[in-house]
Amino acid sequence: MGEKQSCSLGRRDFLRAAAAAGIVVTLNEFAPSAPAQTSGAGMPLPDELVDATLKRLFGNRTFQRAEDKLKLELPLIAEDGGNVAITVDSNLAVSGAVAVNNIYIISDKNRRPMLAKFSFTPDSGRAFVSTAIRLATTTDVRAIAEMSDGTLYSASKHVRVTISGCDLPAQS
Amino acid sequence: MSIRLPSSIKQGDVIRVRTLVIHPMEIVQRDKTNKIIPKNYHFIHTMTVAFNGKEVMRTEFTQGVTQNPSITFPLKVERPGKLTVSFADTLGKSYEGAAEVKFS
Repeated sequence: MGEKQSCSLGRRDFLRAAAAAGIVVTLNEFAPSAPAQTSGAGMPLPDELVDATLKRLFGNRTFQRAEDKLKLELPLIAEDGGNVAITVDSNLAVSGAVAVNNIYIISDKNRRPMLAKFSFTPDSGRAFVSTAIRLATTTDVRAIAEMSDGTLYSASKHVRVTISGCDLPAQS
Repeated sequence: MSIRLPSSIKQGDVIRVRTLVIHPMEIVQRDKTNKIIPKNYHFIHTMTVAFNGKEVMRTEFTQGVTQNPSITFPLKVERPGKLTVSFADTLGKSYEGAAEVKFS
């Protein structure tokens, strides 16, 4: 079987990108084959390292670690990386002067680290969400809450992944 | 797709609404040389929730969300009404569901 499904950075790609210490190399490498984002919402976007994702989403803003304000529930060991339950619960307000606007779920070692973005309104009543995600490999998973005044709170957990949620087993 | 509400809802409650949509959420495929095959992958990119016609929540999804995604989200109910949830995917299809929120 020639096709291989993957949503993680290939080991070689990852090392190459890491060695070059810059996302530019990775972007250039994918530029000829990766079409512009506007050509279709389902077109694959180029691989991205987590630092580049954070920079793209939040610029140079700093994160406040807030495990007390943002509770992240994830399994310690995920046997199936293709289905990892995640719950983010927060006691941060969703209405008033300073409210939660968005909660992001970011997996450090996925091909595209940003997995989902949840936008709340005062009608939500609480900043809470529960779903299931795919993890490419053993990784840190972060939840980041973006407040209406620009403050960023983050919480993270390390998850050991036994079987990748992205790579199909090799077929011979 | 389906929507599940708590069995008992009182005015002013923040309820948890559970939704499930059957969808493949296709993941990126690579060829022999480990290069990504460029094509329009089939996955849900947006979920919008409206209560009595007013948007109360919006979610952006990527291929990093599992197939047949189930999402639980909060909703503050001050009055009864109609809750609608809709998912839009990259093939232009949408999946919509509605539920009546009643006090009991």
